[in-house]
Amino acid sequence: MKDLYQNTLKKIANSSNGIKTISSITAIVAGLLVGLIIMLIANPAGAFPGFLTILAGGFNSGLRSMGDTLYYGVPIILTGLSVAFAFRTGLFNIGATGQLTVGAFAAVYIGYNWTFLGPVHWIVALIGGMLAGAVWGAIPGLLKAYRNVHEVVATIMLNYIGMYLVRLLILTFIYNSDSNEAHSPAPSARLPELFLDDIFPRSSANIGIFIAILAVIVIHIILNKTTFGYELKSVGFNRSAAKYAGMNEKRNIVFSMTIAGSLAGLAGAVLFLVAGKNMEPVNVLLQEGFTGIAIALLGLSAPIGVFLAGIFYGSLQQGGYYLQTFDFEPQIIDIIISVIIYFAALSLFMQRFVADFISRQINKDVEIAEGNDSA
Amino acid sequence: MSVFLNQLYFLVPLFIASAVPLAVVALGGLFSERSGVINIALEGIMIMGGFVGIMFIRYLENATDLPMQLIAFFGLLVGLITGVVFAVAHAFASINMKANQIISATALNLFAPAVAIFTARMLWQTDRVVISGNYRISSIPLLGDIPVIGPMFFQSTYLSTFIGIALFIGATIVLYKTRLGLRLRSCGENPHAADSLGVNVLKMRYVGVLISGAMAGMGGVIFVLSFATRFDANVAGFGFLALAVMIFGQWKPKRIVLAALFFATMRVIGSAYSGIEFLSDLSIPADIYRMLPYVATLIVLAFASKYSQAPAAAGEPYDVGKR
Amino acid sequence: MTNKEKNSDNYVIEMEHITKEFPGIKANDDITLRLKKGEIHALLGENGAGKSTLMSVLFGLYQAEKGQIKVRGEVTRINNPNDATRLGIGMVHQHFKLVEPFTVMENIILGYEDVENGLLTYDKAYEKIMDLSNQYNLKVDPHAKIEDISVGQQQRVEILKMLYRDADILIFDEPTAVLTPQEIEELIKIMKSLAKEGKSIILITHKLEEIHASSDRCTILRRGQHIDTVDVKSTTSEELAEKMVGRKVSFGVDKKKAKPGETVLKTENLSVYNPLTDQDVVRDISLDIKRGEIFCVAGIEGNGQSQLVYGLTGLSPLSKGRIYLNGEDVTDKSIRARSQAGMSHIPEDRQKHGLILEFTLENNLILQSYQSDTFSRHGFLKFDAIREHAEELIDTYDIRSSQGPVSVVRSMSGGNQQKAIVGREIDRGNDLIIAVQPTRGLDVGAIEYIHKQLIAERDAGKAVLLISLELDEVMNLSDRIMVMYEGENVGEFEGGNVTENELGLYMSGAKRRDQS
Repeated sequence: MKDLYQNTLKKIANSSNGIKTISSITAIVAGLLVGLIIMLIANPAGAFPGFLTILAGGFNSGLRSMGDTLYYGVPIILTGLSVAFAFRTGLFNIGATGQLTVGAFAAVYIGYNWTFLGPVHWIVALIGGMLAGAVWGAIPGLLKAYRNVHEVVATIMLNYIGMYLVRLLILTFIYNSDSNEAHSPAPSARLPELFLDDIFPRSSANIGIFIAILAVIVIHIILNKTTFGYELKSVGFNRSAAKYAGMNEKRNIVFSMTIAGSLAGLAGAVLFLVAGKNMEPVNVLLQEGFTGIAIALLGLSAPIGVFLAGIFYGSLQQGGYYLQTFDFEPQIIDIIISVIIYFAALSLFMQRFVADFISRQINKDVEIAEGNDSA
Repeated sequence: MSVFLNQLYFLVPLFIASAVPLAVVALGGLFSERSGVINIALEGIMIMGGFVGIMFIRYLENATDLPMQLIAFFGLLVGLITGVVFAVAHAFASINMKANQIISATALNLFAPAVAIFTARMLWQTDRVVISGNYRISSIPLLGDIPVIGPMFFQSTYLSTFIGIALFIGATIVLYKTRLGLRLRSCGENPHAADSLGVNVLKMRYVGVLISGAMAGMGGVIFVLSFATRFDANVAGFGFLALAVMIFGQWKPKRIVLAALFFATMRVIGSAYSGIEFLSDLSIPADIYRMLPYVATLIVLAFASKYSQAPAAAGEPYDVGKR
Repeated sequence: MTNKEKNSDNYVIEMEHITKEFPGIKANDDITLRLKKGEIHALLGENGAGKSTLMSVLFGLYQAEKGQIKVRGEVTRINNPNDATRLGIGMVHQHFKLVEPFTVMENIILGYEDVENGLLTYDKAYEKIMDLSNQYNLKVDPHAKIEDISVGQQQRVEILKMLYRDADILIFDEPTAVLTPQEIEELIKIMKSLAKEGKSIILITHKLEEIHASSDRCTILRRGQHIDTVDVKSTTSEELAEKMVGRKVSFGVDKKKAKPGETVLKTENLSVYNPLTDQDVVRDISLDIKRGEIFCVAGIEGNGQSQLVYGLTGLSPLSKGRIYLNGEDVTDKSIRARSQAGMSHIPEDRQKHGLILEFTLENNLILQSYQSDTFSRHGFLKFDAIREHAEELIDTYDIRSSQGPVSVVRSMSGGNQQKAIVGREIDRGNDLIIAVQPTRGLDVGAIEYIHKQLIAERDAGKAVLLISLELDEVMNLSDRIMVMYEGENVGEFEGGNVTENELGLYMSGAKRRDQS
């Protein structure tokens, strides 16, 4: 048993991502613990059963909640991918929310109006969402590349601009005054449920999960196997060196943000091309964009990690939904997520902490490999 | 003429009410950045400070008989303290743990509204914390009676406005005329130089971040008192606008004031345009006006960012070992 | 040791058996250093020998694991720079520790300010600064901002910082790196006058001539250990060098005579504009560099050499003039196009511009060539080819790293990082190699190696454009030399036909050759 322990630790120590994964998991555990503490303070009686509900997450209601996990997880995976992709190329995409919102609008607009498209309706709506998101990502990209505007502030501004703009557009073009919401997309524009309805009865799972998987694969290939990805990463890590080497760093920054934007736009489209969820003309930023940041961090900005983290989030969310039976507000999930991000931010320190712990256990110095290059 | 003046009497207090929290929070952000720590958690801190401050005010209203403005004063104080405490999380992560300052701040921005809404719902089953008092001072004795200036600046105003202005002036003096300010600024430009002269960089940065917390926390309370009689965990992006004000103001207090006034103008036009005749005739949708401050910021940034005057070492964790 | 040397009363600083460790390295290993009052004591060693670390311990920036420090005979603990300052120890750092947007006065008083009623006051400080300035001939303008004054003036501010705090034990860390020969002379004069007034000075350096010109005694460190402490007058440069390096060092470089061929790089009136100063920072440079020669641009840092290279490589546009590479006009071509037309570039700052520290070694070695057919196909990287290439270069250029091709470059030593860049650039087989400060910050072994490579390339018929701030390097390597001063060509010389002092005069603008 002890040998197994030592060998596992040694393997972790040697793997460049082993320590990082552990610190991600530690961050998650820390977040959950804080959530538990808050729950204990708020409602001691219901705290433990409530906590277990959260942990059980997508399994709370069997296949149905598992299906819903996928359904809720997909948009987050996509926004997470958007943020992660930007991170890997050296940019902070805090504007996933704005890109998601404009993408959603474009998709819903097409979904409501272009019924003549028939069977390809939903595909075109998805593409519309991606294009809108791409534009909304290109703007801060251009501003950064050519005017040196820091993308954090630019994307935050565009979040708000997008929010107001879309609100205006909804009110102008697709407003349903009866329900005070935007019109629903036509049935031909909704994402098909395929056979998922059979596997996960009564859940909302749809083709989105396959779209997410496809996106994860495509992004993974781009980042790790192509010359394009190589350039983007170079510019992200060291803009000057990339320039010295002859790369067009300005163009690459714009590409990065555009792609990131299109991913978030896709997320928005996926989010609303369903029955029963309509856009609202409100002055509130959609949370999915910010959750994506958490997912990207937890997933170590690697596509596969983002996928797993997204599923995890979907599961947590399900837990939060079922939590209401214990008299807790679902906001507790947001609290947990924010604490997880906080601990993920301490990640460098946590990695050192974990590395020191392992070092003492196996009596050998453990090095932390920096950088995310896995090409 | 009097119609025009009346419009001004209506608008100027609104400008000031909008500008003061922006300027105060922006100056707080300045303190933090000048010491070397980027603080984009101002939004979250405003929300926390505003939330706790408003809760406290509500408590004082229900449980005591204190005069209104005194309640407001205590509320502001509580907001300030809350802001400081909440900012410790960011300070700890950025300074001691050398974490990525953007990420740590994002965590705080997500945490604050979640906690606020959670607590509000658990305690009162609602998202909105309502306070009964209307804290507007209709007219300050004596000062409010001065012709022209009286109605513009000393009527329809708030205690928070004056505290905010005093805070701003005080903070500026501290930053530029005191020993603390000199040392703090050196940490944001060249922490190695400061360290070699015996300045405690870590301590200075803590001071910078905690002051930004104090100002943002109080800013949150000022925001609620001036704009609404309720709090719903939303400060309309003021925390981020304050960042834009700081950048627009090129990290200098005087310019920050001007920037704050400019943005406040945009915002006020956005919400009050129906009261301004010629604008309401144009029938531009409300959302366009509301977008204006953010669009204006983008445009300004597009032209001001080329030769950035940001503190040179802002955003880089201080590592003693690096030379 | 004589009784006199054992007598602590004579020594103002005694560092005894100091050991300072960092993870994986013993920077100082049982070192003992004694400084007499009123002496100038040189601390000699190569890069990485431990000189700066030892002085950082003395100045309170680090704490030693073992050993003790006696100041004026008493054992003391120096926990931070404040303690050091209180004991009268001051340090002029190699990389100035100045706050650029602050004024001279603010920099001098920082941490030592006068305060009245809570607010800063400057009157007393101003007086004291002017007094010191006059006493030691260190002319400065207290109200000028650091970012606006020259490097020489900035150094004076650093010295004043120490004197303002009544330091009488002064540590100078490689102070002459950024000065002209004339400014170096002045600095040595200042140091001697300080010593005459009773101040005790430690001079960290690796420049032997300066030691002979200034110092009384010299302590030599090598690889963290104390090798010897000698009387400078009775020790030759050769002996000093041998102790420093541990073997006999040849000062010259083995070089055959140059055989220049046809022109590889030609420029006409090349000028580069600097928007911040609204002037051309490079003016009318006309070059004619041939195959088989090493052409060196010499000059003090900041006279336009860097910008000249930016203009040649395409990083900066030209305001005037044309560039021809092998006869082809490349003036309007992109960086990549010039690179592919035959221009290799070893940049000034290897970590900022030459490498991506977060990437692996093999990925850094394809930084310019990843798009070629060798390394990619239809946009997809060919990992096998990349690996092979890396292994070849590692072998040929002796690039050492912890994990070979997959080592993260950040973990490699400076010397090996530079070898990687040199190897990469030479391997590309271009006709022109632009090497900017290629041996900056490297130890003698790596310097020797890179010099050999450059000469080999020159003998193989390539053209080498060398930008260097080290006069030794300039004298040893160059076939032809051009001096730049304030952006202009102020003189061209044949390698063997000019002395260092002569070059120094041109570099400082004191002399210029008329150009016809």
